[in-house]
Amino acid sequence: MSTGSDTPSLDELTAALGDRRARSLAMGGEQRIAQQHERNKLTARERIDLLFDAGTFVELGLLAHQHSMTGAVSEPERTPADGVVTGEGLVDGRRVFCAAYDFTVMAGSMGMIGEQKVARLRRKSMLNRLPMIWLLDSAGARIQEAAGSTFAGSGALFFEQVQMSGVVPQVAAMLGPCAAGTAYIPGLADFVPMVKETSSMSLGGARLVKAATGEETTDHAMGGSQVHCYISGVGDLEVDDDAACIAAVRAFLAFMPSNNREEPPRRQTADARDRRIDDIGKIVPTNPRAAYDMRKVVERLADDGDVFEVKPTFARNIITALVRFNGQPAGIVASQPMIKGGALDIDAADKAARFIWLCDAFNIPLVFLQDVPGFIVGTEVEKQGIIRHGAKMLYAVSEATVPKVTVVLRKAYGAGYFVMCGRGYEPDTLVAWPTAEISVMGPEGAVDIIFTKQIAAAGDPVTARAEYAAAVRQTIDPFIAASWAMVDDIIDPADTRRVIIDALEGAATKRQRRAWRKHGVPPV
Amino acid sequence: MTEVKAELVGNLWKIVVELGSVVEEDDTLMILESMKMEIPITSPTSGTVTDILVAEGDVVQEGQTVAIIE
Repeated sequence: MSTGSDTPSLDELTAALGDRRARSLAMGGEQRIAQQHERNKLTARERIDLLFDAGTFVELGLLAHQHSMTGAVSEPERTPADGVVTGEGLVDGRRVFCAAYDFTVMAGSMGMIGEQKVARLRRKSMLNRLPMIWLLDSAGARIQEAAGSTFAGSGALFFEQVQMSGVVPQVAAMLGPCAAGTAYIPGLADFVPMVKETSSMSLGGARLVKAATGEETTDHAMGGSQVHCYISGVGDLEVDDDAACIAAVRAFLAFMPSNNREEPPRRQTADARDRRIDDIGKIVPTNPRAAYDMRKVVERLADDGDVFEVKPTFARNIITALVRFNGQPAGIVASQPMIKGGALDIDAADKAARFIWLCDAFNIPLVFLQDVPGFIVGTEVEKQGIIRHGAKMLYAVSEATVPKVTVVLRKAYGAGYFVMCGRGYEPDTLVAWPTAEISVMGPEGAVDIIFTKQIAAAGDPVTARAEYAAAVRQTIDPFIAASWAMVDDIIDPADTRRVIIDALEGAATKRQRRAWRKHGVPPV
Repeated sequence: MTEVKAELVGNLWKIVVELGSVVEEDDTLMILESMKMEIPITSPTSGTVTDILVAEGDVVQEGQTVAIIE
């Protein structure tokens, strides 16, 4: 039957739909988009275009907008998509979910409808066991919707993020401000790249800080990448601009499986599995007191010299990096003798423990490169809690059930040898270079403890101490460890890449089940 | 004026610059002996060494200012 002439046609209805979609896709309007660009920032939709494989992004909630809880007004024109673009699509052919906060709409503030959209994504991420990506550029909670004691019902986002932890990879890319409690989004994420100058995060924004404590600061001074990627360690990577940030997210995801039940994706390489490192002798001095740049060693070992460092500018005395060996993703934990002699402190232990937990959660094998004179000792580090932080690294390396390979390049002293996956920590392969020094402590330290009385009684204490030290030094010899079968082999350093690849292949079918427990009680 | 600080506690083994030395960023100024390693203290900036606040053989603390670069 006819529906009457006053009923719009389908063409008219779809045209009206098109208008609505166009209005939402226009975000906060030309002027605000221009302002965003003037700040050297891309818009949420430009970022999404960079993140996803072309044409694969499917948006959910485009037509949503803000509503007032108090019933007074809704402003659909002012709040397209309610300030957050949400959806799913393919990154290097694998599906991920993404919430991109739109700073051109009410400063990307987190409104009630927008948060329902993001909550839906988190739920889908878990239901489908696929990664969740946040592109953060937000003034924080939209106070006009949230002020007051209905706050009592909020906060589940962090609870959900904790449930997601170790099940699906979570990335929080910092592309603008992220003030107030929402800073816990990156706080709970697995990977947090930060754009230099434009991004910041802090538990309280500058205005709130002023109100709460009287302190005068700015969001950038308090929580920019110069703080979080260098001092606090909350940021994982400082990048120059939005494009570099999105590229970093894609590079990180390329190492990750979609979830904890899958293996990380292998990548074909033309780099020979048995490639020798002929210049290794030029990089690593045989004089154990001389420093060198371990990063160069890592670059020579990895497929195609491709090293994705996590926290490269924080706790630089240890290197944590994602690499591939003959196509197999692996996590490198390597001493950096160039910084603090490669000795471990609280930040290095923190950085390594978190990285080990990340790799273990997502089935990424671990490779430890030891040149560690031990943990820094003394009054300062005790005040900082070096024992609990060191214990945390012990805990992480002990818990890890992924394949573990340890190479002792030079020093492996004391608890440093333990936390870098010494024999007691279940390495599937443990090898040493001929330059390796494995011992509870160095000869001089040992002599002062073992031979105190003898040295004091000697006619020439200085000569006596030197003689005892020389005698102890004779006992620090990798061939002794090998003769007791405490290390699996002593290798030609130039063959280290092949040895690591052999070891990873040999452990590929490893299945380790620990005793049941609800969870351990890890030191933090 | 830039203060050069020691990054960890140790024995100051060698001072390789003098008052008035012109240095580039990352040049080694001194060498600390700590944790069985020779650990260089490098210049955070380019400039001239206008003050040296420690002597060879001193024990320096983490964060202690050891030199001034102008």
